[in-house]
Amino acid sequence: MSDVITKSKDVTLLEVLDRALDKGVVVSGDIVISVADVDLIYIGLKVLLSSVETMERLRGAPLSGAVEEPT
Amino acid sequence: MQTAKKELIYLYCITKTKPCRSNLEEIGVRAYPVYFQGIYAVVSKVSPDEFSEDNLKKKLADMTWVEKKILQHEKVIEEIMKDATVIPFKFGTVFQTEENVEGLLREHGLEFKSIISELEGKEEWGLKIYCDLEKFKDSLQNEDGKIKEIEKNIAVSNKGKAYFLKKKKDILINNILNERISEYTRDSFDRLKGPSLDAKINKLLSQEVTQKKEKMVLNAAFLVSKKRIKEFDSILTYFKTKYAHKGLEFAWTGPWPPYNFCAIRGQEK
Repeated sequence: MSDVITKSKDVTLLEVLDRALDKGVVVSGDIVISVADVDLIYIGLKVLLSSVETMERLRGAPLSGAVEEPT
Repeated sequence: MQTAKKELIYLYCITKTKPCRSNLEEIGVRAYPVYFQGIYAVVSKVSPDEFSEDNLKKKLADMTWVEKKILQHEKVIEEIMKDATVIPFKFGTVFQTEENVEGLLREHGLEFKSIISELEGKEEWGLKIYCDLEKFKDSLQNEDGKIKEIEKNIAVSNKGKAYFLKKKKDILINNILNERISEYTRDSFDRLKGPSLDAKINKLLSQEVTQKKEKMVLNAAFLVSKKRIKEFDSILTYFKTKYAHKGLEFAWTGPWPPYNFCAIRGQEK
């Protein structure tokens, strides 16, 4: 393991939320957390996923190239 | 008449090999496989008190609960991942019955099998780059010719002119800062994308979320062949050295379940 790998508990929670809430396979199960519910979780966490729009505004739109999906 | 509450079925992940579940009890989850025509869904029974549609919505407001459950979700998948290639599901995928889970396997079985074959021998790794903006600005003051020139002018100007020159300097620094961050994050992403099989750029998380003084400037995911993982370590070490004095911090984590690389048809991301 290299020293650039950080997996402290806090980092892990953030990283897990970033993946398991936002990514992963979505199927039409009988009950699935909807996008709106995920937003609720983030609000509960005082978490705001910055939209691309907000991000660019905050930064003076520098990363426009980098936020595109890579081809 | 009293009816016992019917338990619900929570789905963690799907595999092609029979999942070994010896360590799952430590996580506090009695997970077991549901089998259908060559694929296994790893599930556990959950209580409708927590996971019925209405109750789940209420529970989601309880962050302690969410934290516990989402870490369990992750740990179960990581445990299964030790011996098998997995397709991880989104947190909170719940079915009324095992028959409904079988229905899912029946409907999407071929697609799941092909995704698993694609993912065999591969791992997901994540890179988040954080930037200490003040440190970055300081490094610019010492390096950039234009900024140095304005500083010289400020030193020999009267109060009024110096004020405007300082404003001009601040704008210039911010512009250069944005350009450089963009350049460095792009450079980092491209170099890591090179030896990757696939790569994605995700939404940035605000400082409110990360609870860090440094600002997140890149959030990316890479699909990597297990055999080539050492190459990434050397690239990361190189970046760390190259950009440390600019206040850039590289958080490289993994291996993760391939959350970012297993979308099924009709699912956008």
